[in-house]
Amino acid sequence: MFDVSQGAKTLIEVRGLKMYFPIYAGVFRRHVGDVKAVDDVSFDIYEGETLGLVGESGCGKSTCGRAILRLYDITAGSITINGREIGKESQAGLRKLRPTMQMVFQDPQASLNPRMTLEGIIGEPLLEHTDMDRTQRRARVHELMDAVGLNRRFSNRYPHEFSGGQRQRIGIARALALNPKFIVCDEPIAALDVSIQAQVVNLLEDLQKQFGLTYLFISHDLSMVRHIADRVAVMYLGKVVELSARESLYNEPLHPYTKALLSAVPEPDPDLEAAERVILQGDVPSPANPPAGCNFCTRCPAVMEICHREDPAFREVLPGRFVACHHYNDMNVSNETADETGS
Amino acid sequence: MPDGASKVLDVQNLNTIFQTRSGEIHAVNNVSFDLEEGELLGVVGESGSGKSVTMMSLIRLLPSPPAEIRAGKVMFDGLDLLKIDDDKLRDIRGARIGFIFQDPMTSLNPVFTVGFQLREPLMRHMGLNKKQANKRAAELLEMVGIPAASARLKDYPHQFSGGMRQRVMIAIALACDPEVLIADEPTTALDVTIQAQILELIKELRQKLGMAIIWITHDLGVIAGIADRVMVMYGGQVVEEAPVRELFKNPQHPYTKALLKTVPHVRGERAERLEVIEGQPPILGGAPTACPFRERCPVAIDICARENPALHVTGPRHAAACHLVAPAREEAHV
Repeated sequence: MFDVSQGAKTLIEVRGLKMYFPIYAGVFRRHVGDVKAVDDVSFDIYEGETLGLVGESGCGKSTCGRAILRLYDITAGSITINGREIGKESQAGLRKLRPTMQMVFQDPQASLNPRMTLEGIIGEPLLEHTDMDRTQRRARVHELMDAVGLNRRFSNRYPHEFSGGQRQRIGIARALALNPKFIVCDEPIAALDVSIQAQVVNLLEDLQKQFGLTYLFISHDLSMVRHIADRVAVMYLGKVVELSARESLYNEPLHPYTKALLSAVPEPDPDLEAAERVILQGDVPSPANPPAGCNFCTRCPAVMEICHREDPAFREVLPGRFVACHHYNDMNVSNETADETGS
Repeated sequence: MPDGASKVLDVQNLNTIFQTRSGEIHAVNNVSFDLEEGELLGVVGESGSGKSVTMMSLIRLLPSPPAEIRAGKVMFDGLDLLKIDDDKLRDIRGARIGFIFQDPMTSLNPVFTVGFQLREPLMRHMGLNKKQANKRAAELLEMVGIPAASARLKDYPHQFSGGMRQRVMIAIALACDPEVLIADEPTTALDVTIQAQILELIKELRQKLGMAIIWITHDLGVIAGIADRVMVMYGGQVVEEAPVRELFKNPQHPYTKALLKTVPHVRGERAERLEVIEGQPPILGGAPTACPFRERCPVAIDICARENPALHVTGPRHAAACHLVAPAREEAHV
């Protein structure tokens, strides 16, 4: 497995990423506010690792993944992939970079064109970005189908002829077609049955080893993220509140939200289930109108007076452990990486 | 089955089929189970395993055609729910048997206020007038933990968040003090922190009101936390049935065993690689003549392709439908 401490190379560097969606209202459609879907997020993704991005619906995790691939024109911030800044790159310029960064979508039904055959779907990126001829393309499609465990004989069939798990394999094959370095997996298993989820996750792990891929794995399933991710970032209301190596995050969460989130996951073991549980009161506030101070102050069981006034900085409080919480204000890591990677 | 506890619901050999252009689809095959007073029965299965269709069949909520309940008996308070006429059934549905559906947005009517939808069963079944119903509706909303309950009666469903909407659904289902509550994936559409709130609420209400609950879910974690007894369904059949601890500690059916191994955990040991159930869930068709799990089963033998196994008793209140479960032990417990 991947080891972060070995001075791994940074593949993706995200700094101060903001993605606001404007709200227009009134007769003159005046700009009256913003939905702050992603609000000042900074982190690194190392080459060959899987970074898990977890959070509840509406926390901005999918927007964050899409913004990193520049599927949006971002509001502010910088994104560096493999040493190249793409935050301000034009969409035309991005086109040339697309082969290195790909995406696997949540809903395999909606993300595959129902009128294209499997060969057409998986071969489309090749048609678009390479000068392969028909025979070469077909050979590559077959190679990809082998890699994701689809029978070559199915290459002339249409998406509706496949089950959910198989469709997700088609989506993965398409993402792999151009030998990408980095893949954003946006809830790739959320729409699948329990017995099929494990098949797809194992496939993603095998492909990562085989092709040296780097994943950003977006999911709300905390137990699956614990399985697949090397490091995990937790998002709440547009901000990353905690980022740590997998084991330290799950064994000893620092941020009160991470603690509550982990304790809310029902464990498939009736004996463990009796354990103490932190139950958060209320709902997530609207990202168009976040509370003053810390975003979590309205639901935090350990809220202090300062939390209502000041937004806590996202800092490295222990080696490799980042958290945005006033409870850790007096903890600090006095090395260079703290200045470099903190926001 | 221990004596003493009385059954509120007794389902025997339920068979539901769907007529389609390409022939009959046997969605529920010979499903039998019972529900005791105050018990929470968890029903686990993947999509297409027949868990929802079974529960919809119980109170005849499926449109016919295409659905047809071909055989079976559903005994509730001395009545066979499959035989009684529609008027009688309507007195039971929503009053003595409550229902909570998965998606609160699509099961609440968007053009009526929450107060109206809460008053409806109270006026229809309990004979309350509007004023009394309003008072009771406010009490119900308060009971399910909605702040400023009486003011919120005038709100429409879209003015509530997902978790709050599910609370409203629970309030409606509980409005007439049902003896049985059927909850079909009530927390699947919710976030984990909101799911934890709803599970806590259900545990509280159970203690207070003492109704029996059937809880349908695909989430083994939810089942472990809330159920007394569990029924596992696969391919339109019950494949295993046991008290919750027994099922998790001592599963008998190969499907249950595999299912328990395939889910990752948040706490405890982390496996380097997930165990996989190979293949796809079965595509339902005609009446089953073989074990539905045989193609994915790691221990299948010849007979599995020839004969559909019946439920064998394997321990106290524990039964599994597998040819490899030794029926010899049956005598010891019956």
